Amino acid sequence: MTENERNDMSRRSFLTQGTGLFTSLWVAGQWPGIAAAAHHADEAANSPVPLGFTYFNAADAADVEAICAQIVPSGATPGAREAHAIYFMDRTLATYFSASAPAFSTGLTEFQASFRTAQPQVARFAAADPDMQNAYLKTVDHTPFFETTRMLTILGMFTSPKYSGNYQGAGWKLMGFVDQHGFSPPFGHYDAEYQGFVPYETGKAT
Amino acid sequence: MSGKKFKMGEMVDFVVVGSGAAGGVVARELSQAGFSVLVFEQGPRLGPADFEHDEFKYFFMSGITVDPKISPQTFRKTEDSVATQSPGMQPALYARLVGGSSNHYTANFWRFHEVDFKERSLLGAIPGTAFADWPITYDELEPYYTKVEWEVGVSGLGYASPFDPPRSKPYPMPPMPVKSSGVLLERGARKLGLHPFPAPMAIASEPFRGRPACVHCGFCMGFGCESRAKSSSLYNMIPEAEATGRCEVRSGSYVYHVETTPNRRVSGVHYFDAAKRSHFQPARAVVLSANGAETARLLLNSTSNRFTHGLANSSGMVGKHLMFNQGAAVHAVFEHELNEYKSIQVTRILHDFYMSDPKRGFYGGGGIDARMNPQPAIWAMSQGGDLPRWGNDLKARLEAFPRSMVAAGHSTSLALASNNVSIDPALKDAWGVPAIRVTYKDHPDDLAFARFLQDRSVEIMEAAGAQKIWRDSVQENTAGVHLLGTCRMGNDPASSVVDKYHRAHDVPNLFICDGSSFVTSGRGQPTMTIQALAFRAADHIGRFAKANEI
Repeated sequence: MTENERNDMSRRSFLTQGTGLFTSLWVAGQWPGIAAAAHHADEAANSPVPLGFTYFNAADAADVEAICAQIVPSGATPGAREAHAIYFMDRTLATYFSASAPAFSTGLTEFQASFRTAQPQVARFAAADPDMQNAYLKTVDHTPFFETTRMLTILGMFTSPKYSGNYQGAGWKLMGFVDQHGFSPPFGHYDAEYQGFVPYETGKAT
Repeated sequence: MSGKKFKMGEMVDFVVVGSGAAGGVVARELSQAGFSVLVFEQGPRLGPADFEHDEFKYFFMSGITVDPKISPQTFRKTEDSVATQSPGMQPALYARLVGGSSNHYTANFWRFHEVDFKERSLLGAIPGTAFADWPITYDELEPYYTKVEWEVGVSGLGYASPFDPPRSKPYPMPPMPVKSSGVLLERGARKLGLHPFPAPMAIASEPFRGRPACVHCGFCMGFGCESRAKSSSLYNMIPEAEATGRCEVRSGSYVYHVETTPNRRVSGVHYFDAAKRSHFQPARAVVLSANGAETARLLLNSTSNRFTHGLANSSGMVGKHLMFNQGAAVHAVFEHELNEYKSIQVTRILHDFYMSDPKRGFYGGGGIDARMNPQPAIWAMSQGGDLPRWGNDLKARLEAFPRSMVAAGHSTSLALASNNVSIDPALKDAWGVPAIRVTYKDHPDDLAFARFLQDRSVEIMEAAGAQKIWRDSVQENTAGVHLLGTCRMGNDPASSVVDKYHRAHDVPNLFICDGSSFVTSGRGQPTMTIQALAFRAADHIGRFAKANEI
């Protein structure tokens, strides 16, 4: 990735809510990989216990999951850890996003090395206390690696559980999203109390 | 799937390239007028059962959109820089299936106003731009707007806005049920003396021409409609064209070259079938409705010793004046639940800022609507401006999802020759066809007006009682779904590609009708006007054909 691309990526949002103008996502789609991964996704969705990692080793998974848990912390409502975002990341980096996996690995290695330099007394990021993790991430939260991890965390929490994250709909529970085919009005508090559209007295203007 | 099946290589009256918002209309109108029509669509034929509530598939895996692995594009901001490949969603983004982008649009169906067609005369020239009047007026297009509303299917309330342009008939269906976001936009805007009104939407609010009413599933923008309530060409124009027995839609068939004869007429198209075998399809006339990016690319790739700079490009205007529209969002949180993930995206809009006002110091006009792109991951991923990106602040925003909405501005893009679709000098697609290169940098006025609308949106959300407001950032476009202006219509062959009837100035039996025909961008939401133009174009094309004037 060039410097310009890095700068551009740090500035851009994936999708601007208002205008429907899509901006680019640097991880390429891997749509044909879906069929290959579907079997594993079904197994993961139906298994009460995670199936283990394909792309990550255990130590790297612990570091990345610790980052995810800072991006969306646990608490009264589920966080990235409870939603199994790390398993989504593992599956997608092994399948759909495999073209981006080497770049992610490089980013992770650089992240781990720079953390060791900054905090030589701590064995690794996952072993640091949460306050230290939080403080350190504030120093790197505009890097492409962090932005990619942020994006994958969100995807892993809030897309369909069939992709191995959003475990038992934990992400949707956090957001209050109801996965249902259709709805009927009223949809919310304010439209329930709406009295109807009142025409303007001005009528047709030019 | 039904309809005529032409023999391979059988001569037809019309080949239509593209089956989307414009192509569907043109195909239906010409086949109903008695002509034989063969529609080429590069993407597959899908149906309601194929569409899913799966945002990962549709937004991140190119589920129905142009796929960078087989149809890559490049992007650059300015013509003096080298374009680079965009590996994710493409800079000229469109849906690639029968029905085209009319499958995945949000279905906002404003009419343009009178001013859109004559704004250059009213405001004067804007230096450095190709700001121009259209060669047609609103009055000429009005009957066709009405036709779209009644035959494609639009829900709305006529003259609800005091700024509405004249109309000859009311809407055929009442407005969609209001959502809480619409109620709040209306509340805030009315307090400020503005005039919000029910949004016209190409979604069935009640059963319409054999299609059911919307079930309010919430998956409109970016998704194909599973209930057929969204008025996509896939569900109305295409089957009605096929029902004539004179129209075939040939899906999985990718037109890559328009052939010409020594007397400078088109003779047909070359295309790849699903197995990538090349064929030639002869036609008495060709209509290009492949969208504002692919139509320009096809013309520029259709070079020959007769048309060395691309077909129909003696003006050099093919591909120029690409317009994406601009806009900016304001995110707001309220006390009670709105549950914006339910139902359609937009139920209230306002046009109080539609007119450009020279006193502002910059050109621009637009509308503001209440909406949310309600899919959880897309919503959660929003960043920019002062939106929280991670940590407890992000989590608090996520937990406020049911109480959240967006007030969004939609606004003008000025026509600039330097914003364009061209052919990448190196990149080719999976068929070996030279790829699209998009060059785009917003005019400063477009960004200034987007900020202006954002300021107004903040005021409206404050007046509505929002507890928390975040501004999204106003950004230069690096991609667009509104693909407009690249084969502009005009009376002067030196500065436009098609005449007021969508006939190419250079080629008498070649017609071009889609977003590329636009002269100005409007204020966003172009599909209504694309389809009105298509109905009008088909009327005239059919008239020419019957009079043996093609």
